[in-house]
Parts: sequence; C-alpha cells; structure tokens
Amino acid sequence: MTKVPFVLIVEDDEWLAEQHARTLQTAGIRSQHAAHALAAIDMIDVQVPDALLLDVLLAGPNAFTLLHELKSHSDLASIPVILCTNSAEQLSEEDLSAYGVRCVLDKTTMVPGDIIAAIKKVLL
Amino acid sequence: MKGSRDWSGEVRDRLPFSDLSFAITAAHELKSPLALVRQLSLALESDELTSGERERIVHQILLTSERGLRLTTDLSRASRLEESMFTLEPVNPQQLCEEVAHELTPLYVARGKEIRVSSRYRPVLAVANRDLLRRIMLNFGDNALHYASSDAPVELRANTRNRGDKIRIGVRDYGPAVPIDIWKRLRGALGTDVQPLHDRPQSSGLGLYVAGQFANAMHGCIGATRHRDGATFYVDIDASTQMSLL
Repeated sequence: MTKVPFVLIVEDDEWLAEQHARTLQTAGIRSQHAAHALAAIDMIDVQVPDALLLDVLLAGPNAFTLLHELKSHSDLASIPVILCTNSAEQLSEEDLSAYGVRCVLDKTTMVPGDIIAAIKKVLL
Repeated sequence: MKGSRDWSGEVRDRLPFSDLSFAITAAHELKSPLALVRQLSLALESDELTSGERERIVHQILLTSERGLRLTTDLSRASRLEESMFTLEPVNPQQLCEEVAHELTPLYVARGKEIRVSSRYRPVLAVANRDLLRRIMLNFGDNALHYASSDAPVELRANTRNRGDKIRIGVRDYGPAVPIDIWKRLRGALGTDVQPLHDRPQSSGLGLYVAGQFANAMHGCIGATRHRDGATFYVDIDASTQMSLL
C-alpha cells in the first residue's frame, strides 16, 4: 500500500490555507494547517510532515524563525520546505537553500497546480 | 500596566513616508488581498466544488475585495488631508465602536472570529471627525483580525484619560505575542521608514501610518500597547467640553 504524503501548511490566511488544502486533497495529498510558527512547531512535534508549505510573513515569529528552529533539530532539518509568498521577488534562492528551502512559489502568479508540482518535486 | 508597554508619544509627529516608499509600501499592502482574490477566483474554476463551497468562496472574494478597497479609500483620503477641511464635532465613541463592530462583523464571522464592544454606561463625547475616526477604528479592527486568535473576541472600548480631557478608543486583540524585535520594527513602521521585508509581519505599518495621519488631522494621536497575550491599538482624541460650557 502506498503511503499518503503528509504536508503541513503554515499560512496565516485561513482562506488561502483552505484553498491549498483543497488543491492538495485533489492530488491525494493529506495536509494540516498551522496558522503561525508556534502552532507549526507544536504540530511537527506530534507528526513530522513529509514537506512544509510555508508562508514567509506570519503573525508573530516569521518563517525564518521557524526554519531556524527546524534546522536546530537533526531529525527535522531535512524536511523539504516550499515557500509560498507574496514576496518571492525579494528572496534570494542562494540564501534560502541554507534553510532547506527547495522551491519558492509566488502567490501573485502561481496557479493551484503549481503547488502539487512543487510537492511532487520535493518528495521525489 | 504590568507586562505591557506603551509608546503613544513616539508615534505623534513623525516624518511621513517618502513618496516613493509610500507608493512601494502601498503596493505591497495591496498585493496581499489581490493575490488572495486571484487564488480564490482560480479556485472557482475547479469542477469539484459543491455549490456551498462555491458560494463560500464568492463571499470570501467579496469580503477580501472590500477590505482592499477600504485601504485604497484610506490612502486616497490620506493624500488629500492637507487640502481638505474636516469638521470636528462631538462624537459618541461608544456608538461609533458599535457601528465599527457591526461593519466588521461579517468579515470576522467569515474568518471564524468575533468582535465586540466593551459596553460603558454614559460615555463621554469625543471631539472628532466622525468619518476619520471611523476609518481609524476600521483600520485597527482589520489589523486585529490578522493577529487575533479564534479563542477570544477582539474588543473595542472607549475610556477617558487625563482626568477626562482625553478619550482613548482602542482595539484589543488576544493572540500570539508579537516578539519584541518585530514589535520594535512595527513601532518604527508607524511613523518613519518602510521596514526590511524579512523582519516585519504581514502589515507594513502603512495602515497604521494612515491612521496616524487621520488622528493628527483631529489633533489626536495613535499608539499601541503590547500585552503578553496580544496588543491594543488606540487613538487618543480630545474629550468634548461642551457640557461644561452650558
């Protein structure tokens, strides 16, 4: 039996998170939603996701705080991360690779299928 | 208040954004609702939606558009502040809070959150321009929606200050505490520069800056208090002394 991939969506906009979850569901990918970085850490403690779909600007600690936290734990440092942000053009891929970021999606230009493609890419 | 910090004085009389940074920040602020409207619209193209889901997404698009439009209206209003005359009149802050809560309730409900007014018996009147004060409170209410948790309602409340000379109307949210470094940068964003993107929360502070301009036009000021479990954003304006003249 094939394992169903599990993605943690860290997104402070519930409506957008809902859309992401719906998109992932159509591709047979299971997901959960954390509204902020602290909730994400709690949820990762319960179950380590196969990938993280992460917004950058969050209420409270931002994505980089979460990525630093993940990097500090050897068992979590290798979780592939997909950033999904309105500020993609201001982020340097070179800087991001150090955080385990494998892909950056621009919310202003992406289509729902891009999320599935990105998840499949990092899970391969 | 123990465990909280206030900076009302620092917010007043700051230099405005430069024209360019103002435009850049405004563009950034609008990007968020526009990107959401786009994603929600794309979601409508799916054949797998139920009619209930479709209806819900259309409602979300409507509310998000209205939120974006509030910002554009505020921005255009702020740019014309100097050339306009604003009538100051006695305003019942309690009644205004109720109107703002009523206006924001559909957005809060759709987001699974609650907004309410802390009731006060016989509120003191404030001297304000009703429309500008309403816009300030809507702005704070929009801001609180982003940071508030679903567990506790956002509260609007009006109190007297300085032995009755001032009225403070505030919006209190309960949510994850904003880390002190981000708080300091948000504080900076209220009056001076556009902040480095990596370091700031979703709000660039532009909405708060505009609220500050509106408050200044009414001889008031805005400020904020950071609590362990959230924040209060407020506006201080003169209390009406008309009763003492009678």
